[in-house]
Amino acid sequence: MIKPYMGKILMVDLSSRTMTEEEIPDRVYEQYLSGMGLGAYILYHRMPAGADPLGPDNILGFCSGLLTGTGSLFSGRWTLVGKSPLTGCWGDANCGGTFSPAIKHSGYDAIFFTGISSGPVYLYVKNGKASLKDAADLWGRDAVETEEALKKQYGPKAAVAVIGPAGEKLSLISGVCSDKGRIAARSGLGAVMGAKRLKAVVLDGVQRIGARDPQAMKRLSQHCLKWINFPLPLPGWMLGYVGAFLRITPVVFPQDGILYNSILRKWGTGGMNQTSIEMGDSPLKNWDGTNRDLPMSKSRTINPDIIRSMEIVKYHCYSCPVGCGGICAAKGKYPHTHKPEYESVLALGGLCMNEDLDSIFYLNELLNRAGMDTISAGATAAFAVECYEKGILTREDTGGLELKWGNTEAIVELIRKMANREGIGDLLADGSKIAAQRIGKGSEACTVHAGGQEPAMHDGRCDPGFNVHYSLEPTPGRHTLGAHLYYEMFQLWKRVKGIPKPLPLFIKNSKFRVDGEKARMSAACSKFMSLANGAGMCMFGLFVGIKRVPTFDWLNAATGWNRTPEEYMTVGERIQTLKQAFNVKHGVEPKNNFISSRALGTIPQAEGANKGRSVDIEKLASGYWEQFGWDAATGKPKEETLRKLEIQ
Amino acid sequence: MAYTITEKCNGCGACARLCPAGAITGEKKKLHAIEAVLCIECGACGRICPQAAVLDAAGAPCAMIKRSEWPKPEILLKACIACTVCVDACPVGCLAMSDLSRDKGVDAFPHLRDSKACIGCGFCSRECPADALVMKKPVPAAQTVAAESA
Repeated sequence: MIKPYMGKILMVDLSSRTMTEEEIPDRVYEQYLSGMGLGAYILYHRMPAGADPLGPDNILGFCSGLLTGTGSLFSGRWTLVGKSPLTGCWGDANCGGTFSPAIKHSGYDAIFFTGISSGPVYLYVKNGKASLKDAADLWGRDAVETEEALKKQYGPKAAVAVIGPAGEKLSLISGVCSDKGRIAARSGLGAVMGAKRLKAVVLDGVQRIGARDPQAMKRLSQHCLKWINFPLPLPGWMLGYVGAFLRITPVVFPQDGILYNSILRKWGTGGMNQTSIEMGDSPLKNWDGTNRDLPMSKSRTINPDIIRSMEIVKYHCYSCPVGCGGICAAKGKYPHTHKPEYESVLALGGLCMNEDLDSIFYLNELLNRAGMDTISAGATAAFAVECYEKGILTREDTGGLELKWGNTEAIVELIRKMANREGIGDLLADGSKIAAQRIGKGSEACTVHAGGQEPAMHDGRCDPGFNVHYSLEPTPGRHTLGAHLYYEMFQLWKRVKGIPKPLPLFIKNSKFRVDGEKARMSAACSKFMSLANGAGMCMFGLFVGIKRVPTFDWLNAATGWNRTPEEYMTVGERIQTLKQAFNVKHGVEPKNNFISSRALGTIPQAEGANKGRSVDIEKLASGYWEQFGWDAATGKPKEETLRKLEIQ
Repeated sequence: MAYTITEKCNGCGACARLCPAGAITGEKKKLHAIEAVLCIECGACGRICPQAAVLDAAGAPCAMIKRSEWPKPEILLKACIACTVCVDACPVGCLAMSDLSRDKGVDAFPHLRDSKACIGCGFCSRECPADALVMKKPVPAAQTVAAESA
């Protein structure tokens, strides 16, 4: 029978340089899918409690999605898993591009690394044969140069995942790059790869990927295509006004992701730059500013039309019909860069009050090449600026840098130093929480993090769902798992029984009410996105709605399982619970991961879009945890829940 | 299932040189063999074998076809969604995304970068979710000129 998964993983022990191919029983795929689910299964069962994230016992996994390569759309995401050195919790990072199918073409659903190599190495897999090769010549080179060198050696079809100098230097905010600038950036897993002295993974396989019913897969994909790429008549200059309208209006309707996908198609994620600032979604000035600090007259420098005018060519990730990515022309040292994502523009821009788009392009490329997370790097720079403005850091500390809000030159130099671990950059290269511990002097009050990880550029005072997921996910600080807005766009109520359907019009501030409905919506997002990350699905595709992007139906057609949407949501629940159980096994107290009080609005802002708003995370946490059968007071999964979900 | 090689094989090695999966082994002038777990059923070995010594996955003998007559993908750009599935599906890397624009936009789209490398497997066409690639027998240059002048 044709299956959509390869049924095998490769375990590489870098200490002993041994490689073991293992068959994975069908039962594991039925319970956890592949991708993040398979990764959680392996890490939970095989990593000893209390493993040092940068030590030999940590396991780093490159996991492909169950739906990748099966004829489905939006299914080209791969998940990097490991114990995060940044948070001490379950760590994952997600990336598109072309690497996910390459994992399966090499004959495996996932490749896991344990141990520590005695010297720099890279893994090369071709035609069912895996070997570790010396990487001494590549060590120290940036991510793009390394990928180019490896592709020159092995040909353009070879897929490469690589760390840059930031990962080599164990920066706890470093990630793993592929496709010359895409990056699985979050959770600091680049440092895990660096600690293992693993420079790259090169996959050059041609194994086929199947599906139980390929005709049904194609039928479903063609149904999906009808809902993609509607032309958007909205001009770029109006986007800020859309945000202003959303800020002012007291009544809103549930948003339809078709509109969002049209924005992605036209501008990429940067299409939301000015809209988000105006509506209060973008944190500014290290989460202490408001939309009034960056009015449209100033934020027009990051208007998406300007970014679009610099786009040379669009690119699509594997199996994506939208194509939000692009390559842009840039000024200065690097002639090109990947089109900066919304997150990068706001973290390197608005969060530091930097209005200079050229510097954002430069930093985007610098960080992609260094293999450093643009969100955490920008957020840590903003933290440093605030410390400087408050006199906690002095000019002597910064090596002469005048770290003032919006001082582009100083901010660029600071981030360059962080990427190279030079001077003050060394102190900041592990994120803001650790930097504050090193600096002391009350600097902790200037940090905004959840469990040690800087949250993304979506303010939970605008959409409280973000604060729920930043604080309560087993991977703290992540924004790609749920929010009130995401719940509206997923439209899960159209397929899954027993979950709330939003009213066609509702009072905007009702989002801040703490009730059972809120908990059910947040839990549904977490379950669905855990399932999606097991399947390798892109969240942006899922925004188009569950009936139009038929994930459950694709899963049935690919596997022949013939399950109900509710049964698939239980798979997501199992993956989520296993990640939480991983954290508990490693001594994590879930309550310690609540996001910093500034982002919760414990002292509400006095002006701007989010004026007067605060989020009661304690109450929201109890409700969310109860939805999973976890202890309402501690967030730890109950024994009966683990039994019910057959987690051994 | 996988392709197999029968006793008719004379060990010329043409199939092994062409196999994109590295699945065929054998000494020169001796019977070759296909490693089943590596075979991707692209059919190139069957099309190239002058001895008709290759059986397909269903056990049927494959007929040799002149390489110049092997089918090649024709890309219907209007239907193409630029999802890169065809480029990924190609086991020999003969397809690539172009840097040229389409419809005044900045989309990359697939093109047959290396026509000579194409092995005519049709994976690109089969996997395309938008049915934007069709496999066609190449038209000889002389015929093309004749058709154009007519």
